[in-house]
Amino acid sequence: MAGILVYSEDHIVAQQLLTIGRSLADLRKELLVAVTLMEENAAHLITRGADKVIVLEGKGVYSESYSKAIAEVANKENPTMFLIGGTLRGKEVAAKIAARLNVGLVNSALSIKVIDGNLETERIMYGGLAVCTEILAPASIVTIEPRTYDAAQSNPSRTGKTEKITVEVEEVVTVGNVCPIIKQGADITTAEKLICVGRGLAKQEDMKLAQDLAGKLGAEIGCTRSVAEDYHWLPNEAYIGLSGQKVKPQLYISMGVSGQVQHTAGIRDSKIIVAIDTNENAPIFAAADYGIVGDLYDIVPVLTEKIVK
Amino acid sequence: MANIIACYKWVLDEQDIKITAGSLALDTGRAKSKISEYDKNAIEEAVLQAEKCDATVTSLTFGNSKAKQSLKDALSRGPAKAYWVNDAAADIADGFVTANVLTAAMKKIGEYDVILFGEGSADTYGQQVGPRVATLLGIPIITFVSEITITGNRVTATRKIGDCSEVVTAEFPVAITVLPEINKPRIPSLKQVLGAAKKPSTEFSMDDLGLAADAITPKNKVKSIKGFVMNRKNIIYKDGTPEEKVNALIASLTKEGAL
Repeated sequence: MAGILVYSEDHIVAQQLLTIGRSLADLRKELLVAVTLMEENAAHLITRGADKVIVLEGKGVYSESYSKAIAEVANKENPTMFLIGGTLRGKEVAAKIAARLNVGLVNSALSIKVIDGNLETERIMYGGLAVCTEILAPASIVTIEPRTYDAAQSNPSRTGKTEKITVEVEEVVTVGNVCPIIKQGADITTAEKLICVGRGLAKQEDMKLAQDLAGKLGAEIGCTRSVAEDYHWLPNEAYIGLSGQKVKPQLYISMGVSGQVQHTAGIRDSKIIVAIDTNENAPIFAAADYGIVGDLYDIVPVLTEKIVK
Repeated sequence: MANIIACYKWVLDEQDIKITAGSLALDTGRAKSKISEYDKNAIEEAVLQAEKCDATVTSLTFGNSKAKQSLKDALSRGPAKAYWVNDAAADIADGFVTANVLTAAMKKIGEYDVILFGEGSADTYGQQVGPRVATLLGIPIITFVSEITITGNRVTATRKIGDCSEVVTAEFPVAITVLPEINKPRIPSLKQVLGAAKKPSTEFSMDDLGLAADAITPKNKVKSIKGFVMNRKNIIYKDGTPEEKVNALIASLTKEGAL
């Protein structure tokens, strides 16, 4: 067992993996080995915690086409655990590697702990209703979503070795027409304050209520899934929930959101949750720090007026 | 004629699951089952694609004996026939086991040009079965797809992956995982529901698939599944005028330093 392996095609996420990877490697007195597709990141991965970096040099620019090559490295290194950045590209690669190596895969782990000498992960089930704790078999793959951990601190005096391997990439699909998704609003995943609009809002013109409050608070606006997918009042990337954006603002205020578990799973890392809804029994109140039971059409304008900019 | 297979999972409806106070154990006693929401998108897309090109749609599931009820629901959504791997191993199956079983079933069915999956299941949301099956079958996988066009034996799919979209093409056979936004699954009409009863379905046992014991043994050990508790203050203002309630809220938020 060589230790703990980490990989992400996204260098920012790779540095976050080094945080948890380093602490687990120290606890278990194992090596931390980082795999990267970009040689220029190798030194950086070492100063941020990796004992060794393996650089894969191939002719492809499509990170998903390196699954087989990464699986071969993992097979050779035989790690106790392989941490992969839980971006969508990362999850595809993780599943393909897991299938090649016949190992378990835990996607989107919330935490990884060492308990009684075993590695244990926690992850969400049933759309946010439950947490599943699993004891990992050796060589399991675990993906960790971006921003689950802070980036590892750099220590310029750290040293480690770099190994370069020339690999072949798979060419089973052709990729073209790559375009950035132009965000129509600001990035709600990094917003400090967030207003969330739900189906309690009767019509699109009433979005102004949210906009006025957001303007006064300096907040961004997100929404529930149906507001984006069924009503198209906001773009798809503005919906918050387990299958949408996961947000962690200092202040989250919902208006007219009932609070199905799929939604509350996306807001649970918020510092303070405020709910405004007419239905006293709406599940959002159980997930809230503060709530007002009342018609958002009565409450929100008063709130907007009274907040001191 | 092309063969499209849509895979789905028969899951407990999470809306019916209660959390037992104290132990936080899940009470599934009153939970009804359903086709996992994301998989309804996969079935719908298979049927929509088949309407555009000359294709036959087949559904495939792996479940325990109760999953038999799912066949009629699946068929009422448009597939011409249904396959079902019936084994209690499904109750504790992880992505590794499910992928092994579905792959073996695919090989037994024999004909597949396009295989569709939801991006994850509504219960475990493991997000891995599609790419695992594709890898085991040695065929390309295109994940997180919001749009599909089939021309001849070529599939062109638009992926949405966080901050960018990209168009990926591959030739038959190909596996695809779809995003919920790809379509709006139909609500089957009475005629479709009645018609489903006349469509053929085939049951496989685990013995039919010839899988070794370790191929149907989950990799990781589930230690516990417990209700998630949000530890929140739950201070709710419900009495008084809007003004009074807002004042109370602002006072609280000011104290928290949140404004």
